[in-house]
Amino acid sequence: MTSIISPPSAPQQKHGRPDAESTGAPSSGNSPRPSLRAKFGALDVKVSPYLYIAPFFILFALVGLFPLVYTFIVSINDWDLLSGAGDWVGLENYVTELTDPYFWNSLFNTFSIFLLSAIPQLIAATFIAAILDQNLRAKTFWRMSILLPYVVTPVAVTLIFSSAFDEKYGLINNILQLLNLDPVAWKSEVFPSHIAIASMVNWRWTGYNALILLAAMQAVPRELHESAALDGAGAFRRFFSITLPGIRPSMIFVIITATVGGLQIFTEPKLFNPSSSTLGGPNREYQTTVLYLWDLAFNRGDFGKASAVAWLLFLIIILVGLLNFLISRSIASSGGGRGEKIGRAARRSARKNAQLLAREAAQENLKEHRS
Amino acid sequence: MKNSRHTKTAAALAGAAAFALLAVGCSSGASSAEPASSDNPVTLTVTTFGTMGLDGLYKQYEADHPGITIKATNIDTGGNALTDWKTKQAAGAGLPDVQAVEEGWLGQVMAVSDSFTDLGQYGAADIKDRWVSWKTEQATDSKDRVIAYGTDIGPVGLCYNKKLFKEAGLPTDRTEVAAALGGDDATWANYFETGKKYKAATGKSWYDQSGFVWNSMVNQLPEGYYKADGSLNIEGNTALAERWDELAGGAAAGLSSGQTQWDWGKGKAFVDGSFATSVCPGWMLGVVQGQIEAAGGNADSGWDFADVFPGGPTNWGGTFLTVPTTSKHPAEAAELATYLTDAKSQVAAFQAAGTFPSVTAAQTDPGVTGSNELSKFFNDAPVGEILASRSEGVKAQFKGANDSVIQEQVFGPATIALDKGTDGKSAWNDALTTLKNLDLK
Repeated sequence: MTSIISPPSAPQQKHGRPDAESTGAPSSGNSPRPSLRAKFGALDVKVSPYLYIAPFFILFALVGLFPLVYTFIVSINDWDLLSGAGDWVGLENYVTELTDPYFWNSLFNTFSIFLLSAIPQLIAATFIAAILDQNLRAKTFWRMSILLPYVVTPVAVTLIFSSAFDEKYGLINNILQLLNLDPVAWKSEVFPSHIAIASMVNWRWTGYNALILLAAMQAVPRELHESAALDGAGAFRRFFSITLPGIRPSMIFVIITATVGGLQIFTEPKLFNPSSSTLGGPNREYQTTVLYLWDLAFNRGDFGKASAVAWLLFLIIILVGLLNFLISRSIASSGGGRGEKIGRAARRSARKNAQLLAREAAQENLKEHRS
Repeated sequence: MKNSRHTKTAAALAGAAAFALLAVGCSSGASSAEPASSDNPVTLTVTTFGTMGLDGLYKQYEADHPGITIKATNIDTGGNALTDWKTKQAAGAGLPDVQAVEEGWLGQVMAVSDSFTDLGQYGAADIKDRWVSWKTEQATDSKDRVIAYGTDIGPVGLCYNKKLFKEAGLPTDRTEVAAALGGDDATWANYFETGKKYKAATGKSWYDQSGFVWNSMVNQLPEGYYKADGSLNIEGNTALAERWDELAGGAAAGLSSGQTQWDWGKGKAFVDGSFATSVCPGWMLGVVQGQIEAAGGNADSGWDFADVFPGGPTNWGGTFLTVPTTSKHPAEAAELATYLTDAKSQVAAFQAAGTFPSVTAAQTDPGVTGSNELSKFFNDAPVGEILASRSEGVKAQFKGANDSVIQEQVFGPATIALDKGTDGKSAWNDALTTLKNLDLK
């Protein structure tokens, strides 16, 4: 960013300095008109861009950077929520948390719910987007409909799902029993509870992601599709070889935001069973890391450890985000190495086709000319 | 620590200064402590939670005290109110002039009792005989400062279903039921024995779930999860372990119906005969009524309320009003708290919300002892009288800083495990492991 801003200002700086040296006096009274304006202009060029971007950085420093640093300071102290800072303990809070079985349990739950939600969600979103990308009647209606779950507040969604997943009186178990199947312990067993929570997340986010991917799909050049179709590539081949590589940047964006959101999941598990005395299920079956953090801070009052967990989670999210970035880059650039080749091949054949067509046209022209 | 103490002192000084200014400003007129007037308006903020029945009293107070405006906030549940209080306490800002606190958080409140105004400065000593003695004891911190005024209490009696008792051939009249369970000497052993007879006669469960039974068992002990000196008192606590074994024996005999706490199948369990008795602190009666009505039941569903409780008198829950030191008008706030906890107000609160008063004069008031909606629902049981009798002999148990965490996170899952068929020994050991993992002090 600086490299873009500095070049224009640099020459002006040079221009101003010799001017001042030549007059030999520090006072600008000798040549007031050009230097004042020039100085102001120079200042404008130099400073304005920073002023324009400053609001974001000031806000970020206030609500992003400061809490980040402050949390770190809290995390290296023995800090009680109510009575405040105690002794400086260094990294002890981190060490205790890394050996705490409930911390690892919460990480396991978080990742399990994350995988159960993110993977089906992204696959579904991509296919929904692909379908919406076709020539449908009442396009806007369909597009707005899939965004509807996103508009509904997550608390309401959770309350509805929580009642549907109720173990004794819930809709889903009632249906299961109608079909002569065993009821599932949605709220007191690990895997069923994860599925239930993942379904809430999917309900909320699939449509949102689908819309982003749809926008990306519409930016993929139609000619590529057409030429590939001419070459005899079927709908699926075109989807995997042209659409997927084409929406790579949006795909990466969607995956990263899904990672950050998924690893910070809170509302859904918090309200899934509000009558449970322990947050996240009687035996912490679905206690996610943020829920664990909340419990540490506000139930057990250990602000220091809670802050340590917050930082650990921050680092984990960065790590997983990076990992996802790398994976999605390789997937989307190829569909596993193969796709890209096919994509290139398709493009090459399209190019060849075009050349052929051009040559034929030229020959036709020639013929016409001769005759 | 240093920082927060400085701010606290600063806040206290500021508060005192503000008060002094007020006092100076108004000292010309009346000699009584009434600094606020129509010329000197004061707005008092009040935070309460659940149904405390105080809302109707603010208007009267405002009318009687020109210049005072009350801005009241009521938070839906005690749990949310606790989070609200803790967040504001931790931030050191945003606390109201009068803050309601629940008995369950008392351990945490007492750990930071410095941040509450010593009501002794505002006449706590003159009115301390208002309350049952143990309520005042609960509100007194380790430095003998009274930091809270009691509103309601939760003396525990026994709810029982008359129809189910009749089916099982047990006595149905509430005095006979009390006598059959041992009257003033009712023991848990007797309670579980009677339960086994009931189970043998009907094949049904005796109580709803183990959690509430366990809470009352612990509350009755002279020392619960903590010793009076503030140290943890669970591992090696034989009194506690003995009661756990009794409870586990009951669960193993199928006496527990294994219901979900606070849910009871949306009240259905209260009307379909799943269980015949239930632990009932005063405020629970309203909860039970709500559950029964939610499930389509009514006064004919057979529930009654007996003046007896196994293991002796005990208290569960109850609320206090405090004045945080951050208040700019501690004198006015204390006066409001005094008003809200006097006998007349407490009778009004009982009639509005069924909260049983901690003020002795209110307990004997006809407005409390007389017939009301609640007593009609419980087969015309003299609810007020029974609760007054149940509050006699209650001793305030020391509540440690993490008492509620232990109750919810250590023994909550353990009692659920008992109800699901885990044997007592392994459930107890699991509880100890949880306690160790939680690393509580």
